[in-house]
Amino acid sequence: MVCATASATPVVEITIKDHLFYPAELILPAATKIKLLIHNTDPTPEEFESYELNREKVIVGNSSAVIFIGPLKSGTYPFFGEFYPKTAQGKILVK
Amino acid sequence: MKITVLIIALLLSTVSVADGIVIDKIYHPYVQETEQELEFRAVIQDRQPLSPDNNQLYRFAYGRSLNDRWFAEVYLTGDKSENADFDIHAVEFELKWQLSEQGEYWADWGMLFELAKVIDKNIYEVSSGVIVEKELGRWSHTANLIVEQEWGSDIPDEVESTLTMQSRYRQNQLLEPGIELYMGQDTLAIGPVIMGELRWGSRKKVKWESGAIFGLDRKSPNLSFRLLLEYEF
Repeated sequence: MVCATASATPVVEITIKDHLFYPAELILPAATKIKLLIHNTDPTPEEFESYELNREKVIVGNSSAVIFIGPLKSGTYPFFGEFYPKTAQGKILVK
Repeated sequence: MKITVLIIALLLSTVSVADGIVIDKIYHPYVQETEQELEFRAVIQDRQPLSPDNNQLYRFAYGRSLNDRWFAEVYLTGDKSENADFDIHAVEFELKWQLSEQGEYWADWGMLFELAKVIDKNIYEVSSGVIVEKELGRWSHTANLIVEQEWGSDIPDEVESTLTMQSRYRQNQLLEPGIELYMGQDTLAIGPVIMGELRWGSRKKVKWESGAIFGLDRKSPNLSFRLLLEYEF
């Protein structure tokens, strides 16, 4: 869900739980800067990583972190958790 | 923004006065919490008009993040030339400070602080500088503007500065081509670089950078080859 006020950057929340991203798939608008607010509810750290988004950010256990992305062109941008790459996977669909 | 431009303009007015090898790593303004790294850097210069030929500089470092904003690194620096055998000659302590989140503002900002001591001479050097990076599509443009102060009984006190810039194209993780420009004392040089990273397992990766930097004026080294290997864990 994208939440925004008239002047602020839209905020999208992602939760990490049991080494999985929730939601694992996001649909975001093109040409818009987005603030991802990522909550890691696991006790262990995780790293949000995406070469396509040119972003990497460690979120230590039981904490939250902010990642700014965009403005992006339409397309698919996969991301994964570098600490648990086999399970922590997701993608952003920009339309 | 006007203040930032003014500060950069003032610092640029002192560019072109840094001793030693100006061609080296170009820093990016980002810090990853919990990250540790081992680093090796080498710069080999040939046909230098103002110093012994075949000058070589090596750096061995261990670094770790202190939190999500600060990264500390300790270096041992060695050198070698046609006239001198390899010798570890300095220790350096470095702090990098990430000032803004990536993508938060028009550009991403950081600062660099360094204190160095030559081992067997009374020579100290303290430096600080601004790191800025701007992403434009698949291009990432980075600039480092560093001001240094040297002092001690074995060296004349002086203020020096360097400006280095890198543009890299994020082709893919293994292979990113780019170009680098170096401006400092006796150095005005430009050349192609290639870099990338190889990852395996859970948060283990090797980053590498290599470049051939060519002098643009008579004072500059004709050719500098630089290599960086970084193991992150």
